[in-house]
Amino acid sequence: MAAMRNRPCSRRPAARLLLPAGMLVFCAIAFWLTMQFDRVPPILKRGIEPSDFPQLVIGLIGLLCIADIFTDRSAPPEKLPAVVWQTLMAMAGFAALAQADLFLGLGLFAAALGFLWGERRVPVFIALGAGLPLAVFFFFDVVFEIRFPRGLLTNLWYGWA
Amino acid sequence: MDGFWLGLAALADGHLLFLIVAATLGGVVIGVLPGLNATTGAALLLPFTIGMEPIPAIAVLTTVYCAATFAGAITAILINTPGTSASATTCLDGYPLAMRGEAGRALGMAAVASTMGGVFSVICLMAAAPLLARAAYNFTPPEYFALTVFGLSMLATIGGGYPLKNILSGAFGVLLATVGVDLLTSVERFTFGRPELSEGIGFVPVMIGVFGVSELLIQAGQLHVVRTRIAMKAIKLPSMADYRKTWKTILRSSGIGSFIGILPAEGATVASMIGYNEARRWSKTPQEFGNGAIEGVAGSEAANNSATGGALVPTLALGIPGSPTAAVILAGLTVHGVRPGPTMFTTQSDFAFAIFWSMLFVNLLFFFIGLYGAKLFARVTLIPAQILWPIVFTLSIVGAYALEQSMLDVWVALGFGVIGFFMRRYGFSVVPMAIGLILGGMLETRLGQSMVMFDEKWWLLFTKPLSLLFFVLTALALFGRPLSRLIKGRRSAKRPQQRAREKTPDPRQIKR
Repeated sequence: MAAMRNRPCSRRPAARLLLPAGMLVFCAIAFWLTMQFDRVPPILKRGIEPSDFPQLVIGLIGLLCIADIFTDRSAPPEKLPAVVWQTLMAMAGFAALAQADLFLGLGLFAAALGFLWGERRVPVFIALGAGLPLAVFFFFDVVFEIRFPRGLLTNLWYGWA
Repeated sequence: MDGFWLGLAALADGHLLFLIVAATLGGVVIGVLPGLNATTGAALLLPFTIGMEPIPAIAVLTTVYCAATFAGAITAILINTPGTSASATTCLDGYPLAMRGEAGRALGMAAVASTMGGVFSVICLMAAAPLLARAAYNFTPPEYFALTVFGLSMLATIGGGYPLKNILSGAFGVLLATVGVDLLTSVERFTFGRPELSEGIGFVPVMIGVFGVSELLIQAGQLHVVRTRIAMKAIKLPSMADYRKTWKTILRSSGIGSFIGILPAEGATVASMIGYNEARRWSKTPQEFGNGAIEGVAGSEAANNSATGGALVPTLALGIPGSPTAAVILAGLTVHGVRPGPTMFTTQSDFAFAIFWSMLFVNLLFFFIGLYGAKLFARVTLIPAQILWPIVFTLSIVGAYALEQSMLDVWVALGFGVIGFFMRRYGFSVVPMAIGLILGGMLETRLGQSMVMFDEKWWLLFTKPLSLLFFVLTALALFGRPLSRLIKGRRSAKRPQQRAREKTPDPRQIKR
């Protein structure tokens, strides 16, 4: 055990291999996908086939991943604090809510993020959850004439038709 | 020469001047906010420029670049937190100066050195960019291909991270650039039958994701960090003694910064590190460095601001970004239909020079803003994270959507925000990925054209002198440092053996 602790790499071998192995699997899948690309007749191919360049890059990524396995001696990252996972969950919630309405998702996410990060003042929640999305919506809609996707709230402005 | 004066005349437009002043203030605010930097700021502001003409749009982005790079010094000096990574070395002496009640002097020197560095670099940009463009006019596809490979190889040293991981990240970016319909053959690649992906993955949502959204997740893990601001009575201009002590440092760092900036992919962060180290090496009082040396502040700030102009030289003359923020500006040029490259200085020289003049103006403007507004801007640093980051997230998402008015871009920004966060967590810099995404298309096109030129004999790429030179530089960029380390290691391994030999008497001699 003491010998294990004194090894230059502080990560357990299996954990250290996980990331490069995952990237190699990604490369294998990407390479397989390139083999499904249409091939073009020589007269049209203009120097290289459409699959050649991606395959070259995937090959390079694969080689670098293998080199990374043997050369990476960096310390493992520290455990993520709970608030990071909560923020990630809130982002997932935003992605789900944005299906119904982009600004509903943004407002609720902004308020939730404020809460998760320690904000407890009600006026700040109102400003983040309602004032901020409203201000951004009208700024982009009126000044830049950006048409946002229709949803539960944006339809109140655009109309239901 | 017409473009030179026409560019200056463009600055007479009141609307443009207003935008530049507003962008300078915005850039300074972005620069002083820890977590936000010039790259993130430019990426977030890019969608706001969509309704503008190309000159104001790019002037706004370059203004934010210059102003945010300068403003990083304010937080570096007052709260020991560099507003941008380029100001990290400013903390080393700026904060000790502030601690002993000389914050005003440190900020004054930062403003003077930044302005002088910035002005020097814009003059370099005005002179070097047209010259480089003229030289590149005769480049054929193999030379361009080799130059782009060289540009990508420089990513190895970006961000101070692990070189192999940086190259991996850059290669991932190049792979992302292959998504979409191949323009030469109309073959769909990695589109999974989705028509939205036929034009590929947009630069802007990826940049907003990896620089804005991923930073939000990074900040989530740093909520425990408490920032306290050092009180400051007034900003004062450096004294004559300070000028006498630092003028050589400012000049040297300006030269270093401009040169580093011109190198593809190397930006203000590397420039400030080298500028600071050289200031210490040439100083008569190197022992003061780290304890509040005014030369340290001058060396770091002159170098990082002069890198901004330098970085735009390859960006505008060759279409190869000189820094991460220049990559965003390059994306902005593309969005506004401006094609950077050698032809820009013949067909759109007034555009190019309008940008140069606006940068010169900004550098003079933030001198006054830095001197008289630093006290006010320093207050911005104390905006609570729980208020700042919801605003940044909302602007990121709406900005990602606004450019193409597509929800796919929102998912791309969100997805790459999460990918970027985990990449950074595991030691992969996201900057090479963003630059790889921008250069990937150019790399493939030039390779294809070279293959046509050489009748598919790829080895002929090495027969052109200039492309061979770029390949040699690439090899040096990739393997130079490990090789020198290996040689140094062998030498240091030999030395103890030699010393041991000297100490130990030869057994044959003993026998005698």
